[in-house]
Amino acid sequence: MMAEFDPTILAFCCNWCSYAGADLAGVSRLQMPPNVHVIRVMCSASVKPEYLMKAVSQGVDGVLVLGCHIGDCHYMTGNHRTAKRVPLVKKIMGDVGLDERRVRLDWVSAAEGEKFQKVITEFVNEVKELGPNPLRSVRF
Amino acid sequence: MREEHGNVAPALVSKGDDIGDVRIDVPYQLVNILETIYPWTSGKIAILTRRCDEKALAELFKRGLIDEARIAMIGLGCSKEQVRLCRCEDPVPTKVDVGEASAPAKGDELEAKLSKMSPEERLRFWVGQFKKCNKCFACTTNCPVCFCDDCVLEEKTFVSELGIPPGMSFHLIRSFHLADKCIECGECERSCPASIPLLTLRKMVLKDVKELFDYTPGDKKTSSPLLTTLDDQPLVGDECNEC
Amino acid sequence: MSVKHVLTTCPYCGTGCNFFLQVSDDGKVLGVVPCKTDEISLGRLCIKGYNAHAFIQHPDRLTHPLVRESGGLKQTTWDKAFEKIVHEVTRIREKYGPDSIAVLASAKCTNEENYLFQKLARVAIGTNNVDHCARLCHSSTVSGLLTSFGSGAMTNTIPEFDNADCVLVTGSNTLEAHPMIGARILTAYDKGAKIIVVDPRETPLSRIAYLSLHQKPGTDIAWINGMIKVIIDEGLHNEEFIKNRTTMFDQLKEAVKDYTPEKVESITGIPKKDLISAARIYAKTEKAMLAYAMGITQHSNGTNLVKSMANLAMVCGHIGKESTGVNPLRGQCNVQGSCDAGGLPDLYPGYQRVVDPEVRSKFEKAWGKELSGAKGLTLTCAIKEAEVGKLKALIIFGENIMVADPDIAHVEKALKGLELLVVAEVFPTETSKFAHVVLPAGCYAEKDGTFTNTDRAVRRVRKAVEPPGEAMADWQIACELGKRLGASGFDFKSPSEIMDEMASLAPIYAGINYQKIDGQVTRWPCPSKDHTGTRILHTLKFTKGLGEFAPVQHAPPAEEPSEDYPLILTTGRNLFQYHTGTMTRRSPKLEREAPEPYVELNRGDAKKLEIVDGERVMVSSRRGAITLKARVTDRIIPGSIFIPFHYAEAAANRLTNAALDPISNIPELKVCAAKVQKA
Repeated sequence: MMAEFDPTILAFCCNWCSYAGADLAGVSRLQMPPNVHVIRVMCSASVKPEYLMKAVSQGVDGVLVLGCHIGDCHYMTGNHRTAKRVPLVKKIMGDVGLDERRVRLDWVSAAEGEKFQKVITEFVNEVKELGPNPLRSVRF
Repeated sequence: MREEHGNVAPALVSKGDDIGDVRIDVPYQLVNILETIYPWTSGKIAILTRRCDEKALAELFKRGLIDEARIAMIGLGCSKEQVRLCRCEDPVPTKVDVGEASAPAKGDELEAKLSKMSPEERLRFWVGQFKKCNKCFACTTNCPVCFCDDCVLEEKTFVSELGIPPGMSFHLIRSFHLADKCIECGECERSCPASIPLLTLRKMVLKDVKELFDYTPGDKKTSSPLLTTLDDQPLVGDECNEC
Repeated sequence: MSVKHVLTTCPYCGTGCNFFLQVSDDGKVLGVVPCKTDEISLGRLCIKGYNAHAFIQHPDRLTHPLVRESGGLKQTTWDKAFEKIVHEVTRIREKYGPDSIAVLASAKCTNEENYLFQKLARVAIGTNNVDHCARLCHSSTVSGLLTSFGSGAMTNTIPEFDNADCVLVTGSNTLEAHPMIGARILTAYDKGAKIIVVDPRETPLSRIAYLSLHQKPGTDIAWINGMIKVIIDEGLHNEEFIKNRTTMFDQLKEAVKDYTPEKVESITGIPKKDLISAARIYAKTEKAMLAYAMGITQHSNGTNLVKSMANLAMVCGHIGKESTGVNPLRGQCNVQGSCDAGGLPDLYPGYQRVVDPEVRSKFEKAWGKELSGAKGLTLTCAIKEAEVGKLKALIIFGENIMVADPDIAHVEKALKGLELLVVAEVFPTETSKFAHVVLPAGCYAEKDGTFTNTDRAVRRVRKAVEPPGEAMADWQIACELGKRLGASGFDFKSPSEIMDEMASLAPIYAGINYQKIDGQVTRWPCPSKDHTGTRILHTLKFTKGLGEFAPVQHAPPAEEPSEDYPLILTTGRNLFQYHTGTMTRRSPKLEREAPEPYVELNRGDAKKLEIVDGERVMVSSRRGAITLKARVTDRIIPGSIFIPFHYAEAAANRLTNAALDPISNIPELKVCAAKVQKA
């Protein structure tokens, strides 16, 4: 296991809940690992499964999808869509031999700065354990 | 399907015309062919349908892409050899008008082998297979349930242009989009010039869909779980009917 | 309302896959369905095949004859167009002689049409100046293998690749240029066959190759001779075969004796252990096939290169048996056929020599006219003659020489100097722009006929829709022109009749008729009505008796890198576009995949030039300059750059060198010197 592995991680955060939660974590100066690229989207449902597949195929080590809690989606049922898609994306990754733990779905509200910190830190550590995405070293 | 010029050709025969020497041993994907020619036909169409074709039509009916009232199905039972080649576990159409009612296959050998492998071995297997892909789009062109006019695989964001082979994203994205529609006809695998075992991958993903949502495509009454809420209500504001 | 499925042959590459065109009652082409029982394609197609319907009814199609007037090309009637052509041809012939006129046949047109084009030149006009684009691609194969074996065609068949245990591929990006043949090689690979690829670029095939060797462009004789030396030194050569079936082995042995692996490495850059490994594998494997294409033929010593391929196969006895042989992969859908049909300046239909008086008299009797006994001009020479004003008229059927020929600046000069340029085409092209008369022709879906693919199979092309507007099938154009020029023998009611006449004069096609090939795959030689065709050539003896070894030496390319032009430019194809792009650039799905011209530049070279991926650069040579996008990649060896020739707006052929092979007159499209700088 490589000691100094700096993972590349994407975090898709929905504008109304999880991105606000991320903001709160930042404003509250909560300590967080630096290697996470936060991408703001209007709703977690706008994270089409294609983005997740493409990220993983390109060699991104971990992808986090954060949305509103079920029942709190700004667009009513957007996060229902996400709740169904992401588990399937993970299963498909497992089918081809990629570790499904590289994609994670969680719900973070605008008030949950601490939860945001916890989820990010846990995820980064988990991905560090998993090591680099094996597709990084594959030349197609 | 019938004999023409020393080959077997798909054919749409109008009333009163000679049907010719019919063949049932060459597995043309007639539902896929029907989809292309459908706007240029009128009246009622009878189509030779295997069990998988019935299920494909069900998927198309429930999305309003083909008018059920216009279609009459002639049940075609696959031969033992065809069942073996497809590793088909559901080979008998609702009514067998032509062909035989064969026993189902006992599962996909390759699938069993892959599930016993470690993830690294499995990844190495699939990467080795996908490296042969030549972006012919046969899998999408010949698939009966691949019906999008603007295919996401044709968007540069997700599958880079010009590159051969097209990388994993092509196959992973396709697997997702078919997950709630694939009826295991095997046409993708049969038309792949690189002989990639696509049918096996479809079967693996269908098992995942069954496990996650207790859903199997092919029934015209139930909606895809990807188009419903967690409480099985239809999703609101559904512009695109895909996923 | 109904839809029919018409079985026809693909108009793109020389593999010759069959598929069904879906056509509605009201004459609209809807799509393509692969033919599952087709022996060649096995029910699969490449992306071009799946889109072979897309350009047929494109709005750009030429629908009316055009004639040049003061304001440019203006619409006219067929009568007026023909009258103008006949008037001018007659005038020019009287003033300058029949050899001041040349006809370009077409590898995109059917066998029947090409037979008529050469008849037009020889009988109606009175010249042997008939040639076509084979001059640019496989003319080296025709001249090379004619000398080595007595026959210039692929010796084995496409389905045999499936069962090969070793496939040595060189000068061919098979998975991109001949995808369904590449698919066969993949089948062999899946079964455990060892694929050896020798190419300056890393191609999709080299990525799954057992051995991938990268040689400097233009050094192929060195590594081939090197391999032959290894094979002889290690006693791996087939002594029995050499003794009984060949001649001149001693001269070959002498010729290769200095090509040690060390010397080969210094000339080509191929590491010696890889060369030795490749030689051993090829020699020791019984079912070993050689496949090659432009990388071998398009050189100023192309004929010698092809002879080296023949040498390699003969030294190991890999000829005349299943899954062996020398397999040139022909590019155009009917380039094999247009050669077979006599669209060549020195050969009548069936490869019978024009200069042979007995042969000539046979054709004179059949066609009822005295024929010229002088070899005609090759395409590349015809252009040069036009440039100096010796050639006055050119009638081109379906060829876009302004993009496909080398050194376009000179082609342009040549065309501008002609007193008559007639172009029969399906779309307006860079060439038809200069024409005095443009005739709208029918494409493959609008006529009956045959294409002969690269493995000699004569395949049916079947009419699916009517040509648009007033366009006419080329065979009808040729018949009308022949009649109006006062010649007899242009009265054909159908392409089937034309094939019957050709079969009566070309022994290799003697047994070919529409009834026979309708139901079965028939490969020539098919010498009689009952014969079902020939799969493998040279089984018991070579066409010329004994195979002839050619003692050839490595020679450097005509233009090598210098201080001013430090990089080697090599040109080629990509999977999505086809040749000059007249058809593929009008097919949306194909154009979308590869819409812009580009130059592949090695990462190290790019760094030195401070060029980044995607940047616009100018590539220039002694003949011209073009601007296009840079693709920085590891997939080409340092010191070389690659430009696909499909894009007229940045035509690679502005830069290429028209240095010709002395025997085949093929230009050195694969090597010239160039430089790259920021645009």
